[in-house]
Amino acid sequence: MDPVVKIRVEGLTFRYGARTVLREVSALFLEGALAAIVGPSGRGKSTFLMALNRLWEEVPGAHAQGRVWVRLDGRERLVSDPSFPATELRRRVAMVFQAPNPLRMSIFNNVAFPLKVMGQRNKRLVAQEVEGALRRAFLWDEVKDRLDEDARRLSGGQQQRLCIARALAAQPDVLLLDEPTSSLDARAAGVIEDLLLTLKRRCTLVVVSHYLEQVERLADQVYEVAHETLEILS
Amino acid sequence: MKRIWPWAVRCGCYAAGLWIVSGAAGVVGFVAWRGLPHLNAQLLFGDVSARDALFGGVPVFDGLWPAVLGTVALVTGAVALAAPLGLATGIYLAEFSRGRLKEVLTVFFDVLAGIPSVVVGLFGFSVSLLLHKLVSPRLGPCLLVAAFSLMILVLPYVIRATQSALEEVPQEVRLTALSLGADRVQNLVWVLLPHSLQGIASGLLLAVGRCAEDTAVILLTGVVVTAGVPRSVLDPFEALPFYIYYISTQYGSTEELERGFAAALILLGVSVSLFALAYAVRRAVGSWALYRA
Repeated sequence: MDPVVKIRVEGLTFRYGARTVLREVSALFLEGALAAIVGPSGRGKSTFLMALNRLWEEVPGAHAQGRVWVRLDGRERLVSDPSFPATELRRRVAMVFQAPNPLRMSIFNNVAFPLKVMGQRNKRLVAQEVEGALRRAFLWDEVKDRLDEDARRLSGGQQQRLCIARALAAQPDVLLLDEPTSSLDARAAGVIEDLLLTLKRRCTLVVVSHYLEQVERLADQVYEVAHETLEILS
Repeated sequence: MKRIWPWAVRCGCYAAGLWIVSGAAGVVGFVAWRGLPHLNAQLLFGDVSARDALFGGVPVFDGLWPAVLGTVALVTGAVALAAPLGLATGIYLAEFSRGRLKEVLTVFFDVLAGIPSVVVGLFGFSVSLLLHKLVSPRLGPCLLVAAFSLMILVLPYVIRATQSALEEVPQEVRLTALSLGADRVQNLVWVLLPHSLQGIASGLLLAVGRCAEDTAVILLTGVVVTAGVPRSVLDPFEALPFYIYYISTQYGSTEELERGFAAALILLGVSVSLFALAYAVRRAVGSWALYRA
Protein backbone atom coordinates (compact mmCIF):
# COMPACT_ATOMS: atom_id res chain seq x y z
CA MET A 1 0.00 0.00 0.00
CA ASP A 2 1.31 3.43 -0.92
CA PRO A 3 1.82 5.82 1.97
CA VAL A 4 -0.87 8.51 2.20
CA VAL A 5 0.18 12.14 2.01
CA LYS A 6 -1.07 13.94 5.12
CA ILE A 7 0.26 17.44 4.52
CA ARG A 8 1.18 18.99 1.19
CA VAL A 9 2.97 22.35 1.02
CA GLU A 10 3.41 24.21 -2.27
CA GLY A 11 5.20 27.48 -2.97
CA LEU A 12 5.18 28.68 0.61
CA THR A 13 6.88 32.04 1.04
CA PHE A 14 7.09 33.58 4.48
CA ARG A 15 8.10 37.09 5.51
CA TYR A 16 8.48 38.99 8.77
CA GLY A 17 8.08 42.60 7.73
CA ALA A 18 10.54 43.06 4.87
CA ARG A 19 12.68 40.04 5.78
CA THR A 20 12.00 36.87 3.79
CA VAL A 21 12.46 33.78 5.95
CA LEU A 22 11.22 31.05 3.61
CA ARG A 23 11.02 31.25 -0.17
CA GLU A 24 8.93 28.98 -2.40
CA VAL A 25 9.04 25.99 -0.08
CA SER A 26 7.41 22.74 -1.11
CA ALA A 27 7.18 19.60 1.00
CA LEU A 28 5.15 16.43 1.61
CA PHE A 29 4.51 14.80 4.97
CA LEU A 30 3.26 11.22 5.15
CA GLU A 31 0.46 9.97 7.37
CA GLY A 32 1.55 8.09 10.47
CA ALA A 33 5.18 9.08 9.96
CA LEU A 34 7.52 11.22 11.99
CA ALA A 35 9.11 13.93 9.89
CA ALA A 36 12.01 15.92 11.25
CA ILE A 37 13.05 19.39 10.19
CA VAL A 38 16.66 20.21 10.95
CA GLY A 39 18.89 23.17 10.36
CA PRO A 40 20.61 26.05 12.14
CA SER A 41 18.68 28.29 14.54
CA GLY A 42 16.88 31.35 13.30
CA ARG A 43 16.33 30.06 9.75
CA GLY A 44 12.59 29.61 9.91
CA LYS A 45 12.04 26.09 11.23
CA SER A 46 9.54 27.24 13.84
CA THR A 47 8.03 29.63 11.34
CA PHE A 48 7.42 26.74 9.00
CA LEU A 49 5.41 24.92 11.69
CA MET A 50 3.32 28.03 12.29
CA ALA A 51 2.46 28.13 8.60
CA LEU A 52 0.93 24.65 8.88
CA ASN A 53 -1.65 25.62 11.52
CA ARG A 54 -1.99 29.29 10.52
CA LEU A 55 -0.69 30.40 13.90
CA TRP A 56 1.44 32.99 12.08
CA GLU A 57 -1.74 35.01 11.59
CA GLU A 58 -1.55 35.93 15.27
CA VAL A 59 2.05 37.15 15.05
CA PRO A 60 2.33 40.86 14.25
CA GLY A 61 4.27 41.55 11.05
CA ALA A 62 4.17 37.97 9.77
CA HIS A 63 3.05 37.36 6.24
CA ALA A 64 2.65 34.07 4.36
CA GLN A 65 1.89 33.19 0.75
CA GLY A 66 1.51 29.82 -0.89
CA ARG A 67 -0.69 26.83 -0.29
CA VAL A 68 -0.91 24.14 2.35
CA TRP A 69 -3.30 21.19 2.26
CA VAL A 70 -4.02 18.87 5.15
CA ARG A 71 -5.83 15.58 4.68
CA LEU A 72 -8.67 15.43 7.20
CA ASP A 73 -11.54 12.93 7.29
CA GLY A 74 -10.39 11.41 4.02
CA ARG A 75 -10.19 14.57 1.93
CA GLU A 76 -7.57 17.23 1.35
CA ARG A 77 -8.43 20.63 2.74
CA LEU A 78 -6.74 23.89 1.87
CA VAL A 79 -5.84 25.46 5.24
CA SER A 80 -6.16 29.01 3.95
CA ASP A 81 -9.71 28.35 2.70
CA PRO A 82 -11.88 31.09 4.25
CA SER A 83 -14.60 28.56 5.02
CA PHE A 84 -12.16 26.54 7.14
CA PRO A 85 -11.95 28.24 10.55
CA ALA A 86 -8.44 28.57 12.00
CA THR A 87 -9.80 27.39 15.37
CA GLU A 88 -10.90 24.04 13.89
CA LEU A 89 -7.64 23.69 11.96
CA ARG A 90 -5.61 24.23 15.13
CA ARG A 91 -7.58 21.58 16.98
CA ARG A 92 -6.84 19.05 14.25
CA VAL A 93 -3.23 20.22 13.76
CA ALA A 94 -2.04 20.73 17.33
CA MET A 95 1.25 22.26 18.38
CA VAL A 96 3.78 21.87 21.19
CA PHE A 97 6.23 24.71 21.74
CA GLN A 98 9.93 24.72 22.44
CA ALA A 99 9.67 25.86 26.05
CA PRO A 100 6.96 24.10 28.08
CA ASN A 101 4.07 26.54 28.33
CA PRO A 102 1.52 25.26 30.84
CA LEU A 103 -1.24 27.78 31.39
CA ARG A 104 -1.73 29.31 34.84
CA MET A 105 -4.16 26.62 35.85
CA SER A 106 -4.26 23.26 37.58
CA ILE A 107 -2.84 20.19 35.84
CA PHE A 108 -6.34 18.92 35.12
CA ASN A 109 -7.58 22.21 33.70
CA ASN A 110 -4.54 22.49 31.46
CA VAL A 111 -5.23 19.16 29.78
CA ALA A 112 -8.99 19.83 29.73
CA PHE A 113 -8.43 23.24 28.11
CA PRO A 114 -8.88 22.19 24.44
CA LEU A 115 -12.08 20.36 25.40
CA LYS A 116 -13.36 23.42 27.20
CA VAL A 117 -12.54 25.49 24.12
CA MET A 118 -14.61 23.09 22.04
CA GLY A 119 -17.52 23.59 24.42
CA GLN A 120 -17.47 20.09 25.91
CA ARG A 121 -19.48 20.30 29.15
CA ASN A 122 -19.92 16.64 29.99
CA LYS A 123 -17.70 16.37 33.07
CA ARG A 124 -17.38 12.60 32.98
CA LEU A 125 -16.32 12.63 29.37
CA VAL A 126 -13.81 15.42 30.04
CA ALA A 127 -12.32 13.47 32.95
CA GLN A 128 -12.01 10.39 30.73
CA GLU A 129 -10.33 12.31 27.92
CA VAL A 130 -7.94 14.00 30.33
CA GLU A 131 -6.92 10.68 31.83
CA GLY A 132 -6.49 9.17 28.37
CA ALA A 133 -4.36 12.06 27.15
CA LEU A 134 -2.18 11.98 30.28
CA ARG A 135 -1.70 8.22 29.88
CA ARG A 136 -0.73 8.61 26.24
CA ALA A 137 1.81 11.24 27.30
CA PHE A 138 3.32 8.87 29.94
CA LEU A 139 2.37 11.30 32.69
CA TRP A 140 -0.73 9.83 34.35
CA ASP A 141 1.06 7.82 37.06
CA GLU A 142 3.11 10.82 38.11
CA VAL A 143 0.25 13.29 38.44
CA LYS A 144 -2.92 11.26 39.08
CA ASP A 145 -2.90 12.21 42.79
CA ARG A 146 -2.20 15.91 42.25
CA LEU A 147 -4.43 16.91 39.35
CA ASP A 148 -5.60 20.03 41.21
CA GLU A 149 -2.11 21.41 41.70
CA ASP A 150 -0.78 24.36 39.73
CA ALA A 151 0.74 22.89 36.57
CA ARG A 152 3.71 25.21 36.79
CA ARG A 153 4.96 23.29 39.85
CA LEU A 154 5.82 20.25 37.72
CA SER A 155 9.42 19.65 36.62
CA GLY A 156 10.49 20.79 33.17
CA GLY A 157 10.18 17.35 31.61
CA GLN A 158 6.81 16.77 33.23
CA GLN A 159 5.61 20.18 32.03
CA GLN A 160 6.59 19.33 28.48
CA ARG A 161 4.75 15.99 28.66
CA LEU A 162 1.80 17.88 30.11
CA CYS A 163 1.86 20.16 27.08
CA ILE A 164 1.95 17.12 24.81
CA ALA A 165 -0.97 15.60 26.74
CA ARG A 166 -2.84 18.88 26.35
CA ALA A 167 -2.19 18.92 22.62
CA LEU A 168 -3.43 15.31 22.42
CA ALA A 169 -6.61 15.92 24.42
CA ALA A 170 -8.66 17.06 21.45
CA GLN A 171 -7.53 13.98 19.43
CA PRO A 172 -5.59 15.86 16.73
CA ASP A 173 -4.63 14.33 13.38
CA VAL A 174 -1.27 16.06 13.26
CA LEU A 175 1.07 17.07 16.05
CA LEU A 176 3.66 19.78 15.39
CA LEU A 177 6.54 19.89 17.87
CA ASP A 178 9.05 22.74 17.99
CA GLU A 179 12.29 21.41 19.51
CA PRO A 180 10.35 19.64 22.23
CA THR A 181 13.42 18.43 24.12
CA SER A 182 15.78 21.39 23.85
CA SER A 183 14.97 22.75 27.31
CA LEU A 184 15.21 19.34 29.02
CA ASP A 185 17.99 17.18 30.46
CA ALA A 186 19.00 13.95 28.72
CA ARG A 187 16.74 11.68 30.77
CA ALA A 188 13.61 13.78 30.35
CA ALA A 189 14.44 14.11 26.65
CA GLY A 190 14.70 10.32 26.39
CA VAL A 191 11.21 9.91 27.86
CA ILE A 192 9.83 12.36 25.32
CA GLU A 193 11.59 10.56 22.46
CA ASP A 194 10.02 7.22 23.47
CA LEU A 195 6.70 9.00 23.70
CA LEU A 196 7.02 10.37 20.17
CA LEU A 197 7.69 6.89 18.79
CA THR A 198 4.46 5.56 20.30
CA LEU A 199 2.45 8.61 19.23
CA LYS A 200 3.42 8.04 15.61
CA ARG A 201 0.91 5.20 15.50
CA ARG A 202 -2.05 7.50 16.05
CA CYS A 203 -1.04 10.75 14.40
CA THR A 204 1.34 12.37 11.99
CA LEU A 205 4.26 14.11 13.67
CA VAL A 206 6.35 17.01 12.40
CA VAL A 207 9.27 17.67 14.73
CA VAL A 208 11.74 20.53 14.56
CA SER A 209 15.05 19.50 16.07
CA HIS A 210 18.67 20.39 15.88
CA TYR A 211 19.98 17.25 17.53
CA LEU A 212 21.07 15.10 14.59
CA GLU A 213 21.38 11.94 16.71
CA GLN A 214 17.84 12.39 17.90
CA VAL A 215 16.66 12.82 14.34
CA GLU A 216 18.44 9.66 13.22
CA ARG A 217 16.82 7.64 16.00
CA LEU A 218 13.32 8.92 15.42
CA ALA A 219 12.61 10.23 11.99
CA ASP A 220 11.12 8.57 8.93
CA GLN A 221 11.56 11.68 6.81
CA VAL A 222 14.15 14.44 7.26
CA TYR A 223 14.05 17.93 5.79
CA GLU A 224 16.76 20.50 6.19
CA VAL A 225 16.20 24.23 6.17
CA ALA A 226 18.87 25.92 4.09
CA HIS A 227 19.00 29.03 1.92
CA GLU A 228 15.43 30.03 2.76
CA THR A 229 14.06 26.73 1.53
CA LEU A 230 13.46 23.17 2.65
CA GLU A 231 15.59 20.38 1.17
CA ILE A 232 14.78 16.74 1.63
CA LEU A 233 17.66 14.80 3.20
CA SER A 234 16.10 11.37 3.45
CA MET B 1 39.09 54.42 39.17
CA LYS B 2 36.94 51.96 37.25
CA ARG B 3 36.05 50.09 40.40
CA ILE B 4 34.64 53.10 42.13
CA TRP B 5 31.68 53.41 39.73
CA PRO B 6 29.75 50.22 40.59
CA TRP B 7 30.25 51.09 44.22
CA ALA B 8 29.04 54.67 43.74
CA VAL B 9 25.98 53.56 41.78
CA ARG B 10 25.09 51.09 44.51
CA CYS B 11 25.45 53.70 47.22
CA GLY B 12 23.37 56.12 45.19
CA CYS B 13 20.58 53.55 44.80
CA TYR B 14 20.60 52.73 48.49
CA ALA B 15 20.52 56.41 49.37
CA ALA B 16 17.58 57.04 47.04
CA GLY B 17 15.69 54.08 48.49
CA LEU B 18 16.43 55.20 52.02
CA TRP B 19 15.34 58.74 51.16
CA ILE B 20 11.95 57.52 49.85
CA VAL B 21 11.31 55.16 52.74
CA SER B 22 12.30 57.70 55.36
CA GLY B 23 10.22 60.38 53.64
CA ALA B 24 7.11 58.18 53.71
CA ALA B 25 7.85 57.02 57.25
CA GLY B 26 8.40 60.64 58.29
CA VAL B 27 5.03 61.79 56.94
CA VAL B 28 3.11 58.86 58.42
CA GLY B 29 5.02 59.14 61.67
CA PHE B 30 4.37 62.85 62.00
CA VAL B 31 0.64 62.45 61.34
CA ALA B 32 0.49 59.58 63.80
CA TRP B 33 2.42 61.55 66.43
CA ARG B 34 0.09 64.55 66.17
CA GLY B 35 -3.10 62.61 65.58
CA LEU B 36 -2.88 59.51 67.77
CA PRO B 37 -3.49 61.24 71.11
CA HIS B 38 -6.78 62.61 69.76
CA LEU B 39 -7.96 59.45 68.13
CA ASN B 40 -10.88 58.18 70.17
CA ALA B 41 -14.52 57.22 69.93
CA GLN B 42 -15.60 60.76 70.66
CA LEU B 43 -13.78 62.04 67.59
CA LEU B 44 -15.68 59.57 65.45
CA PHE B 45 -19.09 59.61 67.05
CA GLY B 46 -19.26 62.86 69.07
CA ASP B 47 -21.60 62.57 72.03
CA VAL B 48 -23.39 59.52 70.68
CA SER B 49 -22.18 56.13 71.87
CA ALA B 50 -20.48 53.97 69.25
CA ARG B 51 -23.13 51.27 69.55
CA ASP B 52 -26.00 53.67 69.01
CA ALA B 53 -24.26 55.25 66.03
CA LEU B 54 -23.34 51.96 64.37
CA PHE B 55 -26.42 49.86 65.05
CA GLY B 56 -29.04 52.15 66.59
CA GLY B 57 -29.33 54.57 63.69
CA VAL B 58 -28.74 57.56 65.98
CA PRO B 59 -27.43 60.46 63.85
CA VAL B 60 -23.93 61.74 64.56
CA PHE B 61 -23.44 65.53 64.30
CA ASP B 62 -20.06 66.49 65.69
CA GLY B 63 -18.08 63.35 64.84
CA LEU B 64 -16.18 62.11 61.81
CA TRP B 65 -18.20 58.94 61.31
CA PRO B 66 -20.39 60.39 58.52
CA ALA B 67 -17.23 61.60 56.75
CA VAL B 68 -15.69 58.11 56.97
CA LEU B 69 -18.82 56.57 55.48
CA GLY B 70 -19.00 59.34 52.89
CA THR B 71 -15.43 58.67 51.75
CA VAL B 72 -15.99 54.91 51.61
CA ALA B 73 -19.22 55.39 49.61
CA LEU B 74 -17.52 57.85 47.28
CA VAL B 75 -14.51 55.61 46.59
CA THR B 76 -16.67 52.52 46.13
CA GLY B 77 -19.01 54.37 43.78
CA ALA B 78 -16.27 55.96 41.70
CA VAL B 79 -14.25 52.75 41.35
CA ALA B 80 -17.38 50.71 40.61
CA LEU B 81 -18.14 53.14 37.77
CA ALA B 82 -14.56 53.34 36.52
CA ALA B 83 -13.67 49.63 36.67
CA PRO B 84 -16.00 48.20 34.00
CA LEU B 85 -15.57 51.15 31.65
CA GLY B 86 -11.80 51.29 32.12
CA LEU B 87 -11.39 47.53 31.72
CA ALA B 88 -13.45 47.47 28.55
CA THR B 89 -11.55 50.41 27.06
CA GLY B 90 -8.18 48.95 28.03
CA ILE B 91 -9.11 45.61 26.46
CA TYR B 92 -10.26 47.36 23.31
CA LEU B 93 -7.02 49.34 23.03
CA ALA B 94 -4.77 46.35 23.69
CA GLU B 95 -6.56 43.64 21.75
CA PHE B 96 -8.75 45.08 19.05
CA SER B 97 -7.79 48.59 18.02
CA ARG B 98 -5.02 48.94 15.45
CA GLY B 99 -3.08 51.59 13.61
CA ARG B 100 -4.02 55.25 13.54
CA LEU B 101 -7.14 55.06 15.70
CA LYS B 102 -5.16 53.37 18.45
CA GLU B 103 -2.50 56.10 18.40
CA VAL B 104 -5.11 58.85 18.55
CA LEU B 105 -6.99 57.21 21.43
CA THR B 106 -3.79 56.56 23.37
CA VAL B 107 -2.80 60.22 23.13
CA PHE B 108 -6.34 61.20 24.07
CA PHE B 109 -6.26 59.14 27.29
CA ASP B 110 -2.81 60.49 28.15
CA VAL B 111 -4.24 63.99 27.85
CA LEU B 112 -7.18 62.97 30.01
CA ALA B 113 -4.74 61.69 32.64
CA GLY B 114 -3.05 65.09 32.66
CA ILE B 115 -6.17 67.18 33.26
CA PRO B 116 -5.97 68.95 36.64
CA SER B 117 -8.53 67.62 39.07
CA VAL B 118 -10.04 71.04 39.67
CA VAL B 119 -10.97 71.18 35.97
CA VAL B 120 -12.65 67.79 36.28
CA GLY B 121 -14.42 69.21 39.34
CA LEU B 122 -15.66 72.20 37.32
CA PHE B 123 -16.95 69.82 34.69
CA GLY B 124 -18.81 67.84 37.37
CA PHE B 125 -20.21 71.08 38.75
CA SER B 126 -21.52 72.01 35.28
CA VAL B 127 -23.08 68.56 34.99
CA SER B 128 -24.89 69.04 38.27
CA LEU B 129 -26.12 72.49 37.16
CA LEU B 130 -27.36 70.92 33.94
CA LEU B 131 -29.20 68.20 35.85
CA HIS B 132 -30.67 70.88 38.10
CA LYS B 133 -31.99 72.83 35.12
CA LEU B 134 -33.04 70.05 32.80
CA VAL B 135 -34.10 67.13 34.99
CA SER B 136 -35.31 68.32 38.36
CA PRO B 137 -34.73 71.41 40.52
CA ARG B 138 -34.18 69.08 43.46
CA LEU B 139 -30.99 67.73 41.85
CA GLY B 140 -27.67 69.44 42.47
CA PRO B 141 -24.16 68.61 43.60
CA CYS B 142 -24.41 65.18 45.23
CA LEU B 143 -22.66 61.88 45.88
CA LEU B 144 -23.54 60.52 42.44
CA VAL B 145 -22.17 63.53 40.56
CA ALA B 146 -19.02 63.47 42.70
CA ALA B 147 -18.49 59.75 42.08
CA PHE B 148 -19.10 60.31 38.36
CA SER B 149 -16.53 63.14 38.25
CA LEU B 150 -13.98 61.08 40.18
CA MET B 151 -14.58 58.29 37.69
CA ILE B 152 -13.45 60.63 34.90
CA LEU B 153 -10.41 61.51 36.97
CA VAL B 154 -9.29 57.90 37.52
CA LEU B 155 -10.47 56.33 34.26
CA PRO B 156 -7.11 56.92 32.52
CA TYR B 157 -5.26 54.98 35.26
CA VAL B 158 -7.53 51.97 34.88
CA ILE B 159 -7.39 52.09 31.08
CA ARG B 160 -3.64 52.43 30.94
CA ALA B 161 -3.04 49.72 33.55
CA THR B 162 -5.33 47.28 31.73
CA GLN B 163 -3.84 48.07 28.34
CA SER B 164 -0.22 47.72 29.38
CA ALA B 165 -0.88 44.60 31.46
CA LEU B 166 -2.45 42.93 28.42
CA GLU B 167 0.23 44.14 26.04
CA GLU B 168 2.94 42.80 28.32
CA VAL B 169 1.63 39.23 28.19
CA PRO B 170 4.51 37.35 26.50
CA GLN B 171 4.01 36.16 22.95
CA GLU B 172 4.38 32.47 23.99
CA VAL B 173 1.51 32.76 26.45
CA ARG B 174 -0.57 34.69 23.96
CA LEU B 175 -0.14 31.93 21.37
CA THR B 176 -0.69 28.98 23.73
CA ALA B 177 -4.47 28.92 23.84
CA LEU B 178 -4.73 30.01 20.20
CA SER B 179 -2.58 27.04 19.17
CA LEU B 180 -5.08 24.79 20.96
CA GLY B 181 -7.97 26.09 18.90
CA ALA B 182 -9.23 28.88 21.17
CA ASP B 183 -10.72 31.91 19.45
CA ARG B 184 -9.66 35.42 20.46
CA VAL B 185 -12.43 35.96 22.98
CA GLN B 186 -11.75 32.62 24.69
CA ASN B 187 -8.06 33.47 24.76
CA LEU B 188 -8.84 36.85 26.33
CA VAL B 189 -11.19 35.56 29.02
CA TRP B 190 -9.38 32.36 29.98
CA VAL B 191 -5.73 33.27 29.50
CA LEU B 192 -4.90 36.91 28.88
CA LEU B 193 -7.06 38.52 31.57
CA PRO B 194 -6.10 36.05 34.35
CA HIS B 195 -2.51 36.63 33.31
CA SER B 196 -2.88 40.41 33.59
CA LEU B 197 -4.72 40.51 36.92
CA GLN B 198 -1.74 41.84 38.80
CA GLY B 199 -1.29 44.82 36.51
CA ILE B 200 -5.00 45.57 36.33
CA ALA B 201 -5.24 45.37 40.12
CA SER B 202 -2.41 47.90 40.54
CA GLY B 203 -4.33 50.28 38.29
CA LEU B 204 -7.45 49.84 40.41
CA LEU B 205 -5.43 50.37 43.61
CA LEU B 206 -4.05 53.59 42.18
CA ALA B 207 -7.62 54.63 41.39
CA VAL B 208 -8.75 53.81 44.93
CA GLY B 209 -5.98 55.92 46.42
CA ARG B 210 -6.65 58.80 44.06
CA CYS B 211 -10.40 58.78 44.83
CA ALA B 212 -9.80 58.62 48.59
CA GLU B 213 -7.47 61.61 48.66
CA ASP B 214 -9.00 63.93 46.09
CA THR B 215 -10.41 67.16 47.44
CA ALA B 216 -10.65 69.50 44.45
CA VAL B 217 -13.23 67.43 42.57
CA ILE B 218 -15.58 66.79 45.47
CA LEU B 219 -15.26 70.38 46.63
CA LEU B 220 -17.13 71.41 43.49
CA THR B 221 -19.46 68.45 43.17
CA GLY B 222 -21.25 67.88 46.43
CA VAL B 223 -19.13 67.67 49.58
CA VAL B 224 -20.37 69.71 52.56
CA VAL B 225 -19.32 70.24 56.17
CA THR B 226 -22.40 68.65 57.73
CA ALA B 227 -24.62 66.18 55.98
CA GLY B 228 -24.85 63.20 58.30
CA VAL B 229 -24.46 59.59 57.24
CA PRO B 230 -25.08 59.30 53.46
CA ARG B 231 -28.66 58.11 52.85
CA SER B 232 -29.03 58.65 49.11
CA VAL B 233 -26.66 59.06 46.17
CA LEU B 234 -28.60 62.20 45.27
CA ASP B 235 -27.71 64.00 48.51
CA PRO B 236 -24.63 66.00 49.44
CA PHE B 237 -22.18 64.14 51.67
CA GLU B 238 -19.24 64.51 54.01
CA ALA B 239 -15.73 63.26 53.21
CA LEU B 240 -12.48 63.00 55.16
CA PRO B 241 -10.12 64.87 52.81
CA PHE B 242 -12.51 67.78 52.69
CA TYR B 243 -12.77 67.81 56.49
CA ILE B 244 -8.99 67.86 56.74
CA TYR B 245 -8.77 70.68 54.22
CA TYR B 246 -11.56 72.60 55.94
CA ILE B 247 -10.22 72.24 59.47
CA SER B 248 -6.64 73.07 58.51
CA THR B 249 -7.70 76.31 56.83
CA GLN B 250 -10.40 77.39 59.28
CA TYR B 251 -9.28 76.08 62.67
CA GLY B 252 -10.01 78.30 65.64
CA SER B 253 -7.95 76.50 68.26
CA THR B 254 -4.99 74.14 68.49
CA GLU B 255 -7.38 71.44 69.59
CA GLU B 256 -9.32 71.72 66.33
CA LEU B 257 -6.11 71.42 64.35
CA GLU B 258 -5.21 68.27 66.30
CA ARG B 259 -8.60 66.86 65.27
CA GLY B 260 -7.50 67.48 61.71
CA PHE B 261 -4.41 65.34 62.27
CA ALA B 262 -6.54 62.62 63.79
CA ALA B 263 -8.80 62.83 60.73
CA ALA B 264 -5.74 62.45 58.49
CA LEU B 265 -4.83 59.34 60.43
CA ILE B 266 -8.33 57.95 59.93
CA LEU B 267 -8.09 58.71 56.19
CA LEU B 268 -4.83 56.75 56.08
CA GLY B 269 -6.58 53.90 57.88
CA VAL B 270 -9.51 53.97 55.45
CA SER B 271 -7.12 53.94 52.47
CA VAL B 272 -5.15 51.03 53.91
CA SER B 273 -8.40 49.09 54.52
CA LEU B 274 -9.57 49.73 50.96
CA PHE B 275 -6.16 48.63 49.67
CA ALA B 276 -6.35 45.46 51.78
CA LEU B 277 -9.81 44.76 50.44
CA ALA B 278 -8.61 45.22 46.86
CA TYR B 279 -5.70 42.82 47.53
CA ALA B 280 -8.04 40.24 49.03
CA VAL B 281 -10.32 40.50 46.00
CA ARG B 282 -7.34 40.10 43.70
CA ARG B 283 -6.16 36.98 45.50
CA ALA B 284 -9.63 35.50 45.46
CA VAL B 285 -10.09 36.24 41.77
CA GLY B 286 -6.61 34.88 41.08
CA SER B 287 -7.23 31.50 42.66
CA TRP B 288 -10.67 31.38 41.10
CA ALA B 289 -9.11 31.89 37.69
CA LEU B 290 -6.59 29.16 38.50
CA TYR B 291 -8.78 26.45 39.91
CA ARG B 292 -12.27 26.79 38.50
CA ALA B 293 -13.30 23.85 36.35
